[in-house]
Amino acid sequence: MVTISVLVLLGLGLLTAAILAAASRVFHVSEDPRVAAVLEALPGANCGGCGFAGCEGYAKAVVTDPSLPPNRCCAGGAATAAKVSELTGKAAAASEAMHSFRRCNKRQGNVGLRYTYQGIPSCAAVAALADGAEMCSYSCLGYGDCVSSCPFDALSIRDGLAVVDEAACTGCGKCAEVCPRHVLELVPSRARVAVTCATLDKLKAVTEVCGVGCIKCLRCVKACPAKAVQLENGRIQIDHEKCLAHGDSCGQACVASCARKALCSLRPVLLEPLAKAEEKTA
Amino acid sequence: MQQLVREFTKGLWAELPPFRLVLGLCPTLAVTKTADNGLGMGLAVVFVLALSNVLISTVRHIIPKEVRIVCFIAISASLVVAVELLMQAYAYPLYQQLGIFVPLIVVNCVILGRAEAFAAKNGVLLSLADGLGMGLGFTMSLTFLGGLRELFGSGTLFGMPVMWEGFKPFTIMVEAPGAFICLGLILAGMNALGAWQARRKKQAVPAVSSGCACCGGCQSCEGRK
Amino acid sequence: MDVFELFISAIFVNNIVLAQYLGNCPYLGCSRDKGTAIGMGFAVVFVIIMATLCTWYMQHSVLVPFGLGYLQTIVFILVIAGLVQFVEMFLKKMVPPLYAALGIFLPLITTNCAVMGVAILVQREEYDLVTSLLYALAASFGFMLALVLMAGIRERLETCRVPRAMAGTPIALIMAGLMSLAFMAFKGMTS
Repeated sequence: MVTISVLVLLGLGLLTAAILAAASRVFHVSEDPRVAAVLEALPGANCGGCGFAGCEGYAKAVVTDPSLPPNRCCAGGAATAAKVSELTGKAAAASEAMHSFRRCNKRQGNVGLRYTYQGIPSCAAVAALADGAEMCSYSCLGYGDCVSSCPFDALSIRDGLAVVDEAACTGCGKCAEVCPRHVLELVPSRARVAVTCATLDKLKAVTEVCGVGCIKCLRCVKACPAKAVQLENGRIQIDHEKCLAHGDSCGQACVASCARKALCSLRPVLLEPLAKAEEKTA
Repeated sequence: MQQLVREFTKGLWAELPPFRLVLGLCPTLAVTKTADNGLGMGLAVVFVLALSNVLISTVRHIIPKEVRIVCFIAISASLVVAVELLMQAYAYPLYQQLGIFVPLIVVNCVILGRAEAFAAKNGVLLSLADGLGMGLGFTMSLTFLGGLRELFGSGTLFGMPVMWEGFKPFTIMVEAPGAFICLGLILAGMNALGAWQARRKKQAVPAVSSGCACCGGCQSCEGRK
Repeated sequence: MDVFELFISAIFVNNIVLAQYLGNCPYLGCSRDKGTAIGMGFAVVFVIIMATLCTWYMQHSVLVPFGLGYLQTIVFILVIAGLVQFVEMFLKKMVPPLYAALGIFLPLITTNCAVMGVAILVQREEYDLVTSLLYALAASFGFMLALVLMAGIRERLETCRVPRAMAGTPIALIMAGLMSLAFMAFKGMTS
């Protein structure tokens, strides 16, 4: 009795081991060890900011595709880009650090309520109900869909408005995707100015609901010497590359020209570069 | 010595399976129709868990990393067969009541989970203490849940009628829905208790039980991170 | 008609997770969104059918002839573990798209009570090979049904205000209890 059971189990064990050993040889899939190394170097947040489903997707793609740049990971920043470029042997071009920006100042503009909302506490739900609870159909709703979508805890809701923690924000763009009103937008961290309104309405339709909304008077468009401010798809958009390339000599004319305070300055104006100023006084 | 005591007692409250450490839900729900069954299953699990922990801890240095899960399974399976046969010989009514869940002790997440998380990395005496502690904790939980369900579901406790005359039992408690709902409420209670304790000690409130609940997926859990 | 009754019984009346308490761990773990649920469901169908096939042959060609019925537990679990490992390797090499879809769930299912439970159950009911396979198919579809339903409910729960202590597993268990209650309504269908 004992011998039979021992022999049967032994035989079964050996057979299974043999089959599995053979299978591991026959079905061996050779994987590029670089993929594993790149995956180690990536932060593992799986935020999707690189445009791939997860860190593994990007790791595989950057090793196999020679044209994919190694600096796509916004969560890891420059340090990760350097490591990945070292592992894949690609040159790391400096990529522009971005962060999220909220295009809405409804509190400053005293935007009222259309109705009191009591329902699913989600921006997508409120936005779907008769264009939202606020008088302005394009304002920030403040129910926090962006907060829950952020993999880095960089957003919070204060006084019904989404607030971005620039230190924590990596510019992955998840919040911008999730926001049903497209109030959140990625702007370069170096940006000098930004538009603080996301409305598609014009003139009286805006002045009726908000004190600081953009009325599309286009004064800013005319004021910009670099033609970096344009009306695109019903909103004022700033081409930050052109703006930064032109520099401070315009004195942030767009901000000054706006009668509605719909543009804000993100950096102080340096009218003359420091070196030149020293020359003058010397 | 102190460490032994600590390992033993953590299984009795701090890491109580299945209420705090969400592992081993299948038998918890299935065998707790009566307190007797819960107790019986719990004792079987103590036996298997303690011995399995000891054996695995003894051979932990010889087992190669790639095949460790299969080895753990083989060891606990042998012990489960031993328990099965013992039950058939000495506690046949209990064996009949527990039915298919006796052989399913082998895939109980508690056993594999403790083997992977503890016995594979610690000495024999510590593993024994851990196994006994966890097993006893498991037994207590099962008996508690079984007692609760039996009390409200049939008006008896360990087979003895304890409720007053004219008590209409909530039969749902001894059926499947009652099991799920009871366990859900108990887990919610444990979470609330944990939060209250943390608030009292002014510590950060721990994240509510995420339900690691992946039977034997310990490998994939590590890999997932 | 017998096959139809078997199917109805296995999927609705005696649903393996809601009425027979098998496979609760992955049920609660993989039911957070419909995509994962469907992937897990198909993986379970795949594994249960193959496991039932292999263990049935094991039982009837090795265990019974040698009078080793008492070794059923060990032999079954080893066969299942080995089988899943083999299938994983096979899929990774031969059918990469399928591996990408189900691969991550396979190690989770190895030690899942549902697989082992169904394998042992068909032996206890003494079904023949064809009935065993049909039962395995039906039971695993029942599992997938319960899993997808739960995923749908949990997705809705994301936007509800759930009390903090109940968030996560406790509310999922209560939902499972209510679903189980609903499935109990099928009890009169088969005699």
